[in-house]
Amino acid sequence: MSPAKPILLAEDNPRDAELALAAMEEHHISDKVVVCRDGAEALDYLYCRGAFTSRHRGNPVVVFLDLKMPKVDGLEVLRAMKSDASLRSIPVVMLTSSREERDLRESYVLGANAYVVKPVEFGRFVSAVKELSLFWGIINEPPPDPSTSKT
Amino acid sequence: MESLKNEESRVPPAEAGGADPGVTAPEPDSPDSLGTTQVPWFRSLTIERRILFGFSLVFIGILLICVISYRNLRVLLDNSGRDTRSYELIQVLRDVDVATDEAEKHLRRYLVTGEPIYLGNYREVVKQKTTLVTYVQDLARGSVDQEERAERLNRTMERQLAAQAAAIAKLAEGGIKAVKKTALDGPAKQEIAEIHRIVASMDQHERETLRLRVMQSAAETRKTIALLAAGALLQLVLLAAVYYLIRHDITQRRRVAAELKRHGVLLEAANKELESFSYSVSHDLRAPLRHIDGYAALLRKTMADSMSEKAARYLDTISASAKQMGQLIDDLLVFSRMGRQDMFRTTVDLARLVSAVRDDLRLDLHGRTISWTIGALPSVPGDPAMLRQVFMNLIANAVKFTSTRPAAEISIGVDRRTPTEVVIFVRDNGVGFDMRYASKLFGVFQRLHRADEFEGTGIGLANVRRIVHRHGGRVWAEGAPDQGATFYVALPTEGGVR
Repeated sequence: MSPAKPILLAEDNPRDAELALAAMEEHHISDKVVVCRDGAEALDYLYCRGAFTSRHRGNPVVVFLDLKMPKVDGLEVLRAMKSDASLRSIPVVMLTSSREERDLRESYVLGANAYVVKPVEFGRFVSAVKELSLFWGIINEPPPDPSTSKT
Repeated sequence: MESLKNEESRVPPAEAGGADPGVTAPEPDSPDSLGTTQVPWFRSLTIERRILFGFSLVFIGILLICVISYRNLRVLLDNSGRDTRSYELIQVLRDVDVATDEAEKHLRRYLVTGEPIYLGNYREVVKQKTTLVTYVQDLARGSVDQEERAERLNRTMERQLAAQAAAIAKLAEGGIKAVKKTALDGPAKQEIAEIHRIVASMDQHERETLRLRVMQSAAETRKTIALLAAGALLQLVLLAAVYYLIRHDITQRRRVAAELKRHGVLLEAANKELESFSYSVSHDLRAPLRHIDGYAALLRKTMADSMSEKAARYLDTISASAKQMGQLIDDLLVFSRMGRQDMFRTTVDLARLVSAVRDDLRLDLHGRTISWTIGALPSVPGDPAMLRQVFMNLIANAVKFTSTRPAAEISIGVDRRTPTEVVIFVRDNGVGFDMRYASKLFGVFQRLHRADEFEGTGIGLANVRRIVHRHGGRVWAEGAPDQGATFYVALPTEGGVR
């Protein structure tokens, strides 16, 4: 059996990434997290190209997407994923600071599965990340992976 | 519209200045150079009244033209009627002339021959006498001279007939011989000459009258044509003036509309910029705060065992400050959104709104008892969510600033109402404020109390003012230190909404 499916976290801010990892660490899920520093890297990971050519095949169990990232932003990653048959079924959670109606609307129109505003308060941030990771990483049953089901 | 009115009302003072000999005349292409510069009262009229005035003048002009035309037509018709009578009279006079000669001729033949046929002819002609005389008298009526002549004609004809009758009687008595001389001379020679004279003078008189009348008609018609031409010209000038007024007004309106449109475009651009600014604020300003709080928490966790009490307090302060700033940013975003957000206009029942707000605040009371006095509140036009925020802020403030009072009292009601607006007050017996700082109350981030006395970000009342202004109303406050505060909100009623 292949190792447990990873969680993909696309977050350009290293501090935010570290805080998210710290929150996940408390619940021992951090070892399954792959962090990408911008949208382009996230797409590279999803398509197993660039630095991720040799990664273990298979889709992540969930993708946490920041909205505002350099090169390719979160909405563009989301659009790319939802227009690709092999990636469309991966759950996507928008994890962002923006509460703007415009972002919310567009995310859901593009097919985001959830939209979470990062709380300023660390305690609440921790519990939010924890709950998200628990739900999508453990409670939720991910869609069958096309690449693994073939082998 | 507003600016247009202002422009018009600004004109008279400028003119008063123009009376000063040192000041040059207004520029030639000033909008009212149409000879109205000398008529100040005309300038004080609204454009609608000016146009009405112009059209009234045109209407009066048309009415005058109608009256003149009618009068002339009456004169012409009248004269033409009299002309017909004159021609008839002339014709009848000729008949009288002819008949008189005929009668004399027939009678002389009878007197010479004694043939009764000639007497018959004579009588035939004489029979017409009454008809002709009546006709002449009738047609001569209206002119004293002619009437008098007609009377004379009648009398002379009576005498002629009498003389002729005498001759006939003489023939019957004395035979042809007796009347021979009479027959040769003509039995009524003198009378007939008289009749011819009278007829000639009547004829001449009538022809002269006719000539004068034709001349009068022609003169009258010429005069009328001149008047009508002048009137038509005046109408044209007036219509041109009205056209100028209307065109000028339309041009001005168009210019204002274009300006408004341009401003609208600029405003939209500014709004877009503001939107992207607040977007950045909401996204980028929150991130460092999250980091501050997050790392403080991580630090606290890492040092949990070895940290002094003091260090722990410092960390708590860092976290609290970060949270407070997060709250500030959120409030600021709400404030900025409140200015841009579209207003939803409907009728808001303030009594229901205030009671809902009180329900929502119940949890914040923490078991405090407050004595509420709520008066009858009206319904006003406005955005329910926005007005709710107004009263939520005011009532929450009242609750907050009475928290140090053993017996808190809050009253809400109508202070006064005018046909166009209603003034609602929210009064508390809390800590109040110094009226010297009243102007600062509604500013953004303005606080009249220290943060450790009462919490808050200083946005609430700024929001209240912004919302009330967007509703076309006013807001102000009265108070004294330690003696409570009263906030007044004046909102336009249905009659006062623009």
